[in-house]
Amino acid sequence: MKQRFRETLFQIIFLIAATASIAAVLLICLFLFVNGVPAMAEIGLGDFLLGTKWAPQNSPPSYGILPMIVGSLYVTAGAIIIGVPIGIFSAVFMARFCPKKLYKILKPAVDLLAGIPSIIYGFFGLVVIVPFIRNTFGGMGTSILAASILLGIMILPTIIGISEAAIRAVPDSYYEGALALGATHERAVFFSVLPAAKSGILASVVLGIGRAIGETMAVVMVVGNQTRIPDSILKGVRTLTTNIVTEMSYATDLHREALIATGVVLFVFILIINLCFSLIKRKEGSK
Amino acid sequence: MKKNKLAIALAAAMTVALMGSCAGTGDPTTSGGASGGSTFDTTQAVHVYTREAGSGTRSAFTELVGLEEEDADGNTTDLTTEEAATANNTQVMMTSIASDPYAIGYISLGSLSDEVKAVSIDGVAPTADNVKSGNYAISRPFNIATNGEAQGLAKDFIDFILSQEGQNIITEEGYISVVDNATAFQSTLPEGSIVVGGSSSVSPVMEKLAEAYEALNANANIDVMTTDSTAGMNNTMEGTYDIGMASRELKESETASLTGIQIAQDGIAVIVNNQNTVENLTMAQVKDIYTGTATAWNNVA
Repeated sequence: MKQRFRETLFQIIFLIAATASIAAVLLICLFLFVNGVPAMAEIGLGDFLLGTKWAPQNSPPSYGILPMIVGSLYVTAGAIIIGVPIGIFSAVFMARFCPKKLYKILKPAVDLLAGIPSIIYGFFGLVVIVPFIRNTFGGMGTSILAASILLGIMILPTIIGISEAAIRAVPDSYYEGALALGATHERAVFFSVLPAAKSGILASVVLGIGRAIGETMAVVMVVGNQTRIPDSILKGVRTLTTNIVTEMSYATDLHREALIATGVVLFVFILIINLCFSLIKRKEGSK
Repeated sequence: MKKNKLAIALAAAMTVALMGSCAGTGDPTTSGGASGGSTFDTTQAVHVYTREAGSGTRSAFTELVGLEEEDADGNTTDLTTEEAATANNTQVMMTSIASDPYAIGYISLGSLSDEVKAVSIDGVAPTADNVKSGNYAISRPFNIATNGEAQGLAKDFIDFILSQEGQNIITEEGYISVVDNATAFQSTLPEGSIVVGGSSSVSPVMEKLAEAYEALNANANIDVMTTDSTAGMNNTMEGTYDIGMASRELKESETASLTGIQIAQDGIAVIVNNQNTVENLTMAQVKDIYTGTATAWNNVA
């Protein structure tokens, strides 16, 4: 009897623990939409999403976030271009080419990369990447390129970790079969194992995109934060996340609500990315 | 086996190369390269840094330099160029200016250090003395005002602001103290509650002062309301506020019925990189740079 009671009690405790995260997500959704949607309505959805002028201190103020949407997309695209090839090749190397001794160093190094706080990345970017770009290519240095390089490094652990697991999950028979047909080690890995791990690798890229688009503290220090649509990758932009973090501390009234509405737009982006991720996962599961 | 050795050697070589480039670019004094170096090239573009919309430093700067344009309908537009990079705090502003030879920015005078160079405005150096005397142009007084002689709690709170303790708080917040020979505070511990209201530039430091005062006098309750300087003075005349705050000199119409006391002076330093050869800018030149009219250093040097 006592045993039974204990079991039910702990079941309830586990259930509460499990629902806590769902409750948190629901509360965040509720907060965002309750605060953000009225502001969007007040500004006008078209003016808000497609407006190119962000000037909350003017009277009358303008709240157009198109430059920030474009900025987020540019910076994320740049991070993917830089981070994905390095990440996937690193994963292939670690899973199929790496000598054991080197792996013992490489694996913890990649894990450490994931554990570095983003503000440290930001300072690294500000004192190393930004001056490097300024001295090499000219311009201010705080630019799409700087943010892309920084984010490209930051998404490496995500991409390497998941891709490596996906490559390792491919049954050895694929590799051995390719060898049996006369393929070299390299050929077997790149043309037999890698295609078989495709959906896992794609999932890692999607998660990398999610990380890149949501990153804030590191990006805000290297991206320049100009509120206009840039015409070069050496120009600065403002992303959705940095728009919120730069102005939140002083914003009041509609300005503050407009920043929360910016968060709603970001949230919708993240939802779309997660939807893509589950679609890829489901496809993988049904195979 | 050969391959393994090659891989290890390659990794080692990459690490060394990366560290080399870090060391080279991390130190602003040795980062010569294509555009920097010890010789300052005045044909280079000015890299304008500003603060985020809503920041007190930014609103003071735009107001004092004249970057705020008001049209006939009372609509105001911030003229700061869209190409200006936004630093969202003083530390990022300092690091940006210290590492970029062609940068210009601005910070509160209290945060100034020798990492960067503060330029003179119209020939006046941004020193505490020049700010105190009002000779330095990008500065403004923080005033409080009462309707007639302050009584009870209001008087005790004003005594606190002007005391050694109060002025220490003002200095800690980055403003210039204006009270010479401030004495230690002796509270008379009056009971009650008062409303302090007005300028949004003064209210952050006023909040700090009120907090410190309430810690000393548990019987007191001080509400700080944030509006603007003019509303602060008008509401004080009408009696809504016990003490009004203004981040400007009081007008004659206001001093007719109000007693004003200056509690601090706020100064903003225009800063450039230490390698920059520019020592002095006129107010008009600062405005041209920030509106994007002057884009290269030889436009103003």
